Amino acid sequence: MPAGWTRLTAAMDKLYEFDREAVTPDKLQSGGKFAGLFAGEHVAATEFVIGAFFVLHGVGARDLLWGLLLGNLLAVLSWTFLCAPIAVRTRLTLYWYLRKIAGPGVTFIYNIANAFLYCILAGAMISVSATAIGLLFGIPVPELGAVLPSSAGWVLISIVLGAAFTTMAILGFEKLSRFAEVASPWIFVVFVAGALAALPRLGVRPDFGNFWEVATTKIWNGIAVAGQEKFGFWHVLSFAWFCNLAMHVGLSDMAIFRYAKKWTYGLYTAFGMYPGHMLAWVASGIMVAAIGREMHPGLMAFEAVGVAGVAGVLLAGWTTANPTLYRAGLALQTITPGWPRWKITLAAGTATTILACFPVFFLKLLDYVAIYGLVLMPIGAIVVAEHWVFPRLKIEQYQAEKRGWAFNWAALAVWLGTLAVAFVLPVHLYFRWLPGWFIALTAYTGLMAARRTK
Amino acid sequence: MKNPVLRATMGGLALFSLAACLGLALLIFLGRVSDATYKKAFLAASVLWFVFSILRGRRAQSPAAAERQPMP
Repeated sequence: MPAGWTRLTAAMDKLYEFDREAVTPDKLQSGGKFAGLFAGEHVAATEFVIGAFFVLHGVGARDLLWGLLLGNLLAVLSWTFLCAPIAVRTRLTLYWYLRKIAGPGVTFIYNIANAFLYCILAGAMISVSATAIGLLFGIPVPELGAVLPSSAGWVLISIVLGAAFTTMAILGFEKLSRFAEVASPWIFVVFVAGALAALPRLGVRPDFGNFWEVATTKIWNGIAVAGQEKFGFWHVLSFAWFCNLAMHVGLSDMAIFRYAKKWTYGLYTAFGMYPGHMLAWVASGIMVAAIGREMHPGLMAFEAVGVAGVAGVLLAGWTTANPTLYRAGLALQTITPGWPRWKITLAAGTATTILACFPVFFLKLLDYVAIYGLVLMPIGAIVVAEHWVFPRLKIEQYQAEKRGWAFNWAALAVWLGTLAVAFVLPVHLYFRWLPGWFIALTAYTGLMAARRTK
Repeated sequence: MKNPVLRATMGGLALFSLAACLGLALLIFLGRVSDATYKKAFLAASVLWFVFSILRGRRAQSPAAAERQPMP
């Protein structure tokens, strides 16, 4: 391994040193802990946008409900049958398991890609919060389809919020994480209460008797707003499935499931998915319909819950951007060995703030979420092939670790090759990851089998 | 907060505040309160939720919870 790489990987390993060893049996957690852990997840600022976008994309009510029910079920099953079993068998994080399989070089690239994607996600969170603060100062939200900043006011708010979030992440990440735990149940209540309060404005009677009629004619009426693509059942199902693709199929949540006593604990993710990715999305759909289908999370929440709603949008953005900035900083620290924590968080925060000025990341959030999952998904397929397929085909496992490779070129080629194929596949962006996963699994197995033959 | 009785009381009050937020939304849905009253009361109940929850304090974070990653 070249000296530069050795230094770089040593610095990277040092950062993740604390979880290098497999989790020991005394540290395993009960099912109840996992249920509680997942119940607090999936209530982020993005929920205000995703559910609303389904309305703007003209999803029908029946398509929405069935799509969310089944798509979330598929996501839960992906955690249960793909991610949790490998985590429970290895008791390692994806970082250390991937290092054994693909080498520290590929792990390094994975980290950087992840950091970049985190920065964009945090930028979108800041934008969502900016809609809430902009409402107070009368600054208009950029129109659907906007890519560049629409006004100096929008840029100013994004910069102020980005600077504030970054400063707070530097000064007290831990305290903010604790605050986020307190805020999470309340933010969920803001969604549910906001939807309930918005229903009379849409004409729903107190006896709920005409709810379905209102839902199908005024909320999810199957008509997309101008400039938005029409979505149907398969779009919703696929989106609900891949929304956290990097975590389940991409195996990033091995970090959590390595503490599970049994692989069946993957089923506990349902406690997070159905309230967050079904109820909250339905709620934000109702709220956006009540304000005349305008993509304005701040206004949606203000009209439904008042000032508390504005605070809800701001807090949802802030409490999610905070760990995102932290994780981005952690991943970026590998390329800046010796930099203190504050400096790298500042760098990640600055990049994120610049990205937040561009409304495209929040207005194209659904596409970004698809790309986010797609980019990291092949790594999950490579790990699945190495873990489950290689022993059955008698292909030697963990060659990168055994032979001291910095790069497992087969893994890197399959990762990049799969992305290249996925991006030209003649299907909708939302449907590309699934064939991509099989392509990655097959190609990696084939390449490593061919190497064995040689 | 170390005193278990006080801790439980604060926890109960926090939950009551959260339930009040939901109850208020139900009241406006049923048309029993005005929009202005609902929004003011919701804000007050929200502030109480944060006050009681923060006063209650938190249990030690489990190692699995520390591994949570930001998600869309």
